[in-house]
Amino acid sequence: MGSCHGRVALVTGSSRGLGRVIARKLSEAGADLVLNYRKAGGRSEAQATALAKELVERGSRAVAIRADISHRDEVAAMFQEIGAQYGRLDILVLNAARAPFKGLGELLKRDLLQLVETNYLGNVYCVQEALPLMRGRPGNVVFISSLGSRFVLPNYPLGSMKAAMESLVKQWAMELRDRQISVNSVTAGLLKTDSLMVLRQYWPGVERLPASAFVELEDVAAVVLFLCTEAARSIRGQHIVVDNGFSNELVRPAPVG
Amino acid sequence: MAELLISQDQIYREVRKAIADALQIPEEKVQPDSSLISDLAAESLDFIDINFRLEQRFNVEMPRKYLLDHVEELFGEGTAIDDRGFVTAAAVTIWNARLGSAGPGLRAGMSLEEVPALVTPRTLIMVVDEILATRPEACPACGKAAWTVADGGAIGCGECGAHVPLVAGDDVIRRWLEEFRARGGLKSSAP
Repeated sequence: MGSCHGRVALVTGSSRGLGRVIARKLSEAGADLVLNYRKAGGRSEAQATALAKELVERGSRAVAIRADISHRDEVAAMFQEIGAQYGRLDILVLNAARAPFKGLGELLKRDLLQLVETNYLGNVYCVQEALPLMRGRPGNVVFISSLGSRFVLPNYPLGSMKAAMESLVKQWAMELRDRQISVNSVTAGLLKTDSLMVLRQYWPGVERLPASAFVELEDVAAVVLFLCTEAARSIRGQHIVVDNGFSNELVRPAPVG
Repeated sequence: MAELLISQDQIYREVRKAIADALQIPEEKVQPDSSLISDLAAESLDFIDINFRLEQRFNVEMPRKYLLDHVEELFGEGTAIDDRGFVTAAAVTIWNARLGSAGPGLRAGMSLEEVPALVTPRTLIMVVDEILATRPEACPACGKAAWTVADGGAIGCGECGAHVPLVAGDDVIRRWLEEFRARGGLKSSAP
């Protein structure tokens, strides 16, 4: 029996990339899953629905729910649906993110609003709405951060939101300590996901970095799962860097070829 | 304008291939007027992937930003998109003047969220074509006018082998907008 048997987990932004791998990992550990995607009618919806179907076929419970976390009413509706379907929530993985790839000087007001509304407000809405469903049992909230929270990259204003969220993680951890809800972040290094396609255009050379500069999605998901187990219950308000050691070294691997 | 080295048909073939490869769909599904989003289910990250493929193919730098973003940066926030996120009449005038049949369908009052769905292969062909048209007459390295096309894609100097210097996509748009403003195009859009 998996370590998450009988628990219900929501992973925001889980139609593809890291969110998808985390959702699958939690499901393999026995959790019932709520998958979330933002846009109706697109490939995300098809992928989230297909994953839900796959998990159900393998014997877990899983549903895909559409909600743009930047809209408070959509977040509220998503949690209402989770309440209706499962009656509870035990694990909340805040993975969804959305950002323009632009320099700070080029950000329009609506770019700034989108940054804050999705990556800060949206995550806060999710935690606020999740708490009533997490009442009376130990729970886990894991925020997916990135090295952008502490190092700068060209055209990556999302990093500042990751830093803001890492700060909130500590605040939530304190506020929720007595409810036995752990709140931590997993600070991921370079991942070979769809987002890498973005990076290679805005950060030339990234596609030529050696394999050792990257971290496997599976390895990040494994740490997320660990933070949701009994063994990790005393880890509170921490930022666990999972980057294959990339950020430790002042001299980073140079692009090859 | 310099003589065409790569025809629009050739560009279309590559655009079609880039879209099909990025979206993992058969090329036959891609038609010149297919909406990448509505008809082919592309998402924002896919646009970047498609652009990257075209960049590799033609050795160009595709625009990083949408036309309406450039309008707002150059002419001020609120020019193209109002406070509530809706397209303005001025935006429609600029859009139609620039894209014509390569990007029909922009309406005043449309939500900004709906704009990316207007992008079709025709839009991408126009963007690539415009960038390729910025090549200088002669090679800056050797002075010879001997551009050739390698393998249907990247343009290089047939004399010395140098890559052709092309204007970046964002700069092509910015230049066009500045010329549009200089010829009074923006004023004629006032309601």
